[in-house]
Amino acid sequence: MVRILLKFSEQTVEQPIVSQIILDLKVPLNILTAYVNSKGGEVLAEIPDEALEKVVAAFRMRNVTVSLPKLIEVDTEKCISCGSCVALCPVEAITLDEEYSVVFDKEKCVGSTCSACVDACPARAIKSVKQNNHELHSSR
Amino acid sequence: MEEKALKPQKNTRTIEEINQKIRNGDVQVLTAEEMKKLVESSGVEVAFREVDVVTTGTFGAMCSSGAIVNIGHPDPPIKLENAWMNDVPICHPGAAVDLYIGASAMSTTQPYEYGGGHLIEDLVAGKEVELKANSYGTDCYPRTQVKTNLTKDDLNQFYLLNFRNCYQHYNCAVNSRDETIYTYMGKLLPRMRNATFSGAGELNPLMNDPDYETIGIGTRIFLGGTQGYVIGEGTQHEASSLNGTLMVRGNAKKMSPEFLRGAAFTRYGTTLYVGLGIPIPILNEGLARKTAIRDEEIFTNVVDYGVPRRDRPKLARVSYKELKSGGVTVGDRRIRVSSLSSLKKARKIAGTLKDWIVQGEFFLSAPVERLPLDGVFKSMKQTEAIVFVVNVMQKAVTCRETDAVSAIAKRIVTKSVNHIVVVDEQGKLTGIVTSWDITRALAEGKDALAEIVTRHVFTAKPDEPLETASKRLAQHNISALPVIDNKNKVLGIVTSEDISKQLGRK
Ligand code: SF4
Ligand code: SF4
Repeated sequence: MVRILLKFSEQTVEQPIVSQIILDLKVPLNILTAYVNSKGGEVLAEIPDEALEKVVAAFRMRNVTVSLPKLIEVDTEKCISCGSCVALCPVEAITLDEEYSVVFDKEKCVGSTCSACVDACPARAIKSVKQNNHELHSSR
Repeated sequence: MEEKALKPQKNTRTIEEINQKIRNGDVQVLTAEEMKKLVESSGVEVAFREVDVVTTGTFGAMCSSGAIVNIGHPDPPIKLENAWMNDVPICHPGAAVDLYIGASAMSTTQPYEYGGGHLIEDLVAGKEVELKANSYGTDCYPRTQVKTNLTKDDLNQFYLLNFRNCYQHYNCAVNSRDETIYTYMGKLLPRMRNATFSGAGELNPLMNDPDYETIGIGTRIFLGGTQGYVIGEGTQHEASSLNGTLMVRGNAKKMSPEFLRGAAFTRYGTTLYVGLGIPIPILNEGLARKTAIRDEEIFTNVVDYGVPRRDRPKLARVSYKELKSGGVTVGDRRIRVSSLSSLKKARKIAGTLKDWIVQGEFFLSAPVERLPLDGVFKSMKQTEAIVFVVNVMQKAVTCRETDAVSAIAKRIVTKSVNHIVVVDEQGKLTGIVTSWDITRALAEGKDALAEIVTRHVFTAKPDEPLETASKRLAQHNISALPVIDNKNKVLGIVTSEDISKQLGRK
């Protein structure tokens, strides 16, 4: 699966673009987070790797800005298990186990759109990384 | 039974007796956490009889740390004046080639990201570092420049020499401001959306010997993965308020980066995480009782770091048990809390120290001198007066949201002010309008204040230094801040005009 970040403008936010594309392309599109109001919005969604190109093209055709958010990774070698990151995470993707080791749930983490934990790590063990070699051509 | 009657139970033991048991291989050692369980299940008396030593540990950011290095003389020799290692400025407090690497000194090329703490970690890990230095040149030390690469093996001495470590307990920090702040207590989200704390609680060495019966000058300890020593009380030591600290020393060449880590606090600076553990010999029942202290008996204050003052408001009192549970209660709110120091490593240190003693690799030492119990941590004597918002604020001209724009326009003229603060019937802040807003409204023929009022208002507190209020004005490109109390009631207004007048006077 690959995650895409969709940015809707004031004009596009009103239209049912996401459902249109799901219907047109018959691609399962899993919405992870969505912040939308009348002035526009941001939707983080997950789609199958092989559908990336056509989904991106379809959104761009409808004037939606598409980008690939980065994923968050914790370097366990560098991590000193201080726990500073834990209470900052809005989705509880980082927790401590009974041994006070930090457990990072990659699935739960919403990725570089959040990044709340990144600059709080004193060991600089939290990094944002590209999604497995996916690249978008000509972004807009 | 009979035997017991013949041989009365001793109610003390000595460090020499414990060391003999270590030699014999039958010493009984528990970590502080294990000791608490034993005392709970079997009582103090049994714990005293059965346990010789309790080990403690802590692993946290300790900024007042550093290392003494002697780098040897080059040929021709140089009397170092300014020196950098990996671009970190190094302090040169003594003779020709003695240097002190301060943990919080920041690299000139990667400030906030790399500093003295990282440099010490790199040296400890065996990495090569670059030394650059210059000097004015003397008859005996003619050289003015030197540049070379060094590892710890090239250094004559490399000693960790920390002048304040092992704080007995520390604050829990929150931030009441509207913006995220970055502090030495980490990243604090606005409106108290998170909290941070530091310290190992019941595992902390000083908490387990609060009367300094066994910890003193000369006490052998675990420091950075090897054996080190307490060389005195740390700076700001105040035993009476449970704010004890230690000054420690250890051979950094033998330390391990597992227990000594450079760290970067965003927008604050760099530091060193230090692993420190102390064995507490259980010399009497009193020490058995003291080492049984639990997290629920150790308290600290929730402090508002959003207030830029030395004496920050204390909002609540919480135990380390609550802190370690991940949430604290302040008023009617539950706030998620993170530790800044590693409890996992603190445990590992206590466990490692226990293993060393059991395996006969570590012997206890009696202090040669006690640490002071009566010292007081004084604040700085200031000879220059600091100006606070309350000193320059003026009475605010206010209006109610129901007032007509034309009436307010009149008030602006008669009072000759540029800002009108909008308040409700209780005098609480609801918005602000400027003379510019009013002019525009009049020009556009609007007469309802509600249409032009700015509701997201940046404010100041009366007891905040004028300098921070002035920074806020500049940051948001505005010219006045209503001054409010904790209940949002308007006390006055401070304008950039007043501030520049005040600062101009200095
Ligand atoms: S990036 Fe955000 S969601 Fe992901 S782990 Fe960090 S704080 Fe949690
Ligand atoms: S803040 Fe960094 S070092 Fe601390 S627990 Fe989180 S990932 Fe590990």
